[in-house]
Amino acid sequence: MKRFSRAKFFKGMNLTVFTFAMLFLYIPILILVIYSFNDARIVTSWKGFTLKYYGQLFRNVAIRQAFLNTMLIAVLSTVISTLLGLLTALGLENKKLKGRKGFMGLLYAPLVMPDILMGVSLALLFNFLRVNTGMWTVLIAHVTFCVSYTVIVIQSRLEGFDNSLIEAAMDLGAKPSTTFFKVKLPLIMPGVIAAALLSFTLSIDDFIITFFTSGRGFDTLPIYVEGTIRRGTITTINALSTLVIGLTLLLVVFTKRIRKSLISSF
Amino acid sequence: MEEIRIVNVSKDFDGFMAVDGVNLTIKPGELFSFLGPSGCGKTTLLRMIAGFETPLNGKIFIGDQDIVELPPYKRPVNTIFQNYSLFPHMTVWDNVAFGLKVRKTPLPEIKERVSEMLNLVKMDDQHSKYPDQISGGQKQRVAIARALINNPKVLLLDEPLAALDLKLRQHMLIELMNIHDAVGITFIYVTHDQSEAMSISDRVAVMNRGKIVQEGPPDDIYERPSSIFSAYFIGETNLITGEVIGIEDEYVQLKCPMGNGEFFEIDSTFHFRPEIGSQITVSLRPEKIAISRHKPKVADDMNVVKGVIEDILYLGSHTQYIVTVGKNNFRVFDQHKRVYFDDTALDWEEEVWLFWHDTDSWLIDELPPEDRMPAEGKSHLSKIKKQSSVSGEQI
Amino acid sequence: MKNSVKSNKLDYLLAAPTLIWLTIFFLVPYLIVLIYGFLTPDIFDVKFEFNLDAYRQLLDGTYFRPFLLSVRLAITTTLLCILIAYPVAYLIARASDKVKNTLLILIIIPFWTNLIIRIFSWRIFLSYNGVMNNILMRIGLISQPLEIMRTDLAVIMVMVYVYLPYMILPLYSVLEKLDFTLLQAAMDLGATEVKAFFKITLPLSLEGIFAGVLLVFIPSLGTYLIPQLVGDQRSLYVGQVITYKIKNIPRNWPMASALSFGLLVLVAFFLLLGYILLRKSKVRGVV
Repeated sequence: MKRFSRAKFFKGMNLTVFTFAMLFLYIPILILVIYSFNDARIVTSWKGFTLKYYGQLFRNVAIRQAFLNTMLIAVLSTVISTLLGLLTALGLENKKLKGRKGFMGLLYAPLVMPDILMGVSLALLFNFLRVNTGMWTVLIAHVTFCVSYTVIVIQSRLEGFDNSLIEAAMDLGAKPSTTFFKVKLPLIMPGVIAAALLSFTLSIDDFIITFFTSGRGFDTLPIYVEGTIRRGTITTINALSTLVIGLTLLLVVFTKRIRKSLISSF
Repeated sequence: MEEIRIVNVSKDFDGFMAVDGVNLTIKPGELFSFLGPSGCGKTTLLRMIAGFETPLNGKIFIGDQDIVELPPYKRPVNTIFQNYSLFPHMTVWDNVAFGLKVRKTPLPEIKERVSEMLNLVKMDDQHSKYPDQISGGQKQRVAIARALINNPKVLLLDEPLAALDLKLRQHMLIELMNIHDAVGITFIYVTHDQSEAMSISDRVAVMNRGKIVQEGPPDDIYERPSSIFSAYFIGETNLITGEVIGIEDEYVQLKCPMGNGEFFEIDSTFHFRPEIGSQITVSLRPEKIAISRHKPKVADDMNVVKGVIEDILYLGSHTQYIVTVGKNNFRVFDQHKRVYFDDTALDWEEEVWLFWHDTDSWLIDELPPEDRMPAEGKSHLSKIKKQSSVSGEQI
Repeated sequence: MKNSVKSNKLDYLLAAPTLIWLTIFFLVPYLIVLIYGFLTPDIFDVKFEFNLDAYRQLLDGTYFRPFLLSVRLAITTTLLCILIAYPVAYLIARASDKVKNTLLILIIIPFWTNLIIRIFSWRIFLSYNGVMNNILMRIGLISQPLEIMRTDLAVIMVMVYVYLPYMILPLYSVLEKLDFTLLQAAMDLGATEVKAFFKITLPLSLEGIFAGVLLVFIPSLGTYLIPQLVGDQRSLYVGQVITYKIKNIPRNWPMASALSFGLLVLVAFFLLLGYILLRKSKVRGVV
């Protein structure tokens, strides 16, 4: 009897902590969403439903520009870093490659460095080279911090790859190129998509590295949002955030397979 | 139809000779098996024929063409892989059509041939399923169809039944033989399972340590093993060593030590002429020996030895007795036909007579090694040991 | 033999672009950080004159406090994350497959939501006349609004909030693979739940804890945005000091470089420490 009740106690404790963690994770977001529809200048109490902040949001040229910049950088850096990651993961499949360990170290290093160090070092590099900061420097920075992730996610997919399938394809008369495009690529595609999605998320999420590598006149959304928060005009940001959260929700809920391979890449 | 000739082929992995100077000719249309323990080189040899490994030296001919330099996708051979290796992202139909598609065969022809093939392996009603939706036996059939649709000159099968359970294995074995009869091309079959190789093959090559130890029809290898390794690897056997004390026209006489200073004498037919006074080994299969508590009426061409039952194992279709004769232990398989002498069962510690015909034993010009273990047959032997604690000169 | 040489060449070719990219944009920049630390600051830029001031200040204790605060914050955040994440991960790992998926989605949604938006939501939640104070006053727990915004407490809360999923996910993936029949075996042999947990579950999930610590502790050391947006501006963390030295005028890039180098050394130290601890626990056969 005693043992039974103790087991129950543990389960109850886990459940309590879980509930608490969920509240902790979701209440602030929820409030943000609610207040994006609140017809009040400052966030104190409920003054009635409104959509006017969404209207303001869509009329705001600076936000639109920042959004376009964010998307441009995200798409470009995703394409480049996924492609680089795919090639590298394929090359590193060869376990006998000389210097493989060193290279793996170089790939893992950016993952265990605080972002701010990458931001500072790139800022100084661009200063040293007398490069004008702007879109291109931001793009370079984003590819730099995304590429390690893409390599590792695709690698983890390749690890489970059954090489006898390649032999089977060749055995059936497929040339190496046909084998790659008809058998290998389709089979590691979930990993490639997961890598792309991850680098896309990382790119639109990044503040600090962009902060150090973008010049005046090239704001991404996080940079714009941070500036706006500092200046205090936050009502449109509520609306913007709600839209972003909605988009995230859609993405997470409708990408079961990608979610799976994202979790397994941990 | 062309024959396959393997000429002096070797392959090393970081200095380890996986295949060591193999010469072999496989006749057109034959079902030929490579049989041996794991690590004997059988799979490596198969993979060299398929083109997945490049030989260190030697040539592999199909007909008159040396295929060693050809990449796998240009060889007229197809493989059935151990785990089938069906493409998981394609349906059964697409899997079977793969070989024709990559050769840019016109679609109507692909459709016709695929349905023909799926018919042959009885999978026509499953064509739109994915590999993870069908059973192991069905995957096997798809793999066969996928390979045969390319009209290969040779079909290579790498332990194709290893992943199936016993009943299904026996069933697929028969089906493979039927398919072999139906398509009539050469099959090369790799297995470590001697009973599989025995039942399916026209001829078998027994391999050990990268070399072919013996090659021939299954019954030939079973009845006339050329070495202690083949005698042990295929079936079970008793090995008796002794000194040649006489040679007649048809048989040799052996004097075998019992360990206590005494000897027993046996006769055996021979296929080579040993020297008088030399030590030699006789292989005697356990099912050739008869066992009785009464001394048989001796015929001239019978060997009779007296011993004591040490162990009895009831195995369903037969009973295995371990009978000690001095320091020798004889394994005897006795089928449950009580037509001899009397019908009360034999018991532990009972004195019995063992007898067999001169022509039932086989001479091997080789002595069991010092450690009493044929090198690669160790696991096989230790299994025997556990069963029956056989010890003594035979092993 | 011929074949493998050829494929090696191709594999190098495949891996080369990333190798070159990371060398130019990851390794070389650190070299420049190292060089800039020994230059002379200028209002907008640096002068290429040798100067030891920055490293002197780094070592004489002027910047001791930001480092201390950052380490303290990283340790607090990591510990709190472990405490909360472990039961959560355990619960998810032992849930039925269907529930498991839903719970995982719940964890991943915040993880995928924009960082700055999540921080921003806490500003609304915590502010003087914000929602939390409103609720607490309405149910009568407090009579005056709490001043949580712009305190160290706010920083810790938001840090835990942001980094929690990074602890839950690796812990979950280890606990999910854990063979729970081991626990039954332990209890069958007479261990209580508590003992079974400390003798079986915890040792076997150490690897997940290490992974989580790596994902939480190291980024926490260099955090800038969270203290900047919700923290007390009188207690500055390393990340903030470095950023100010780079961005604010007069700029002091040599100082920023020296501080970055200091942070790098700190990170290296903790990584080494973690590595040694992990090795030790492996030698003891715990992992």
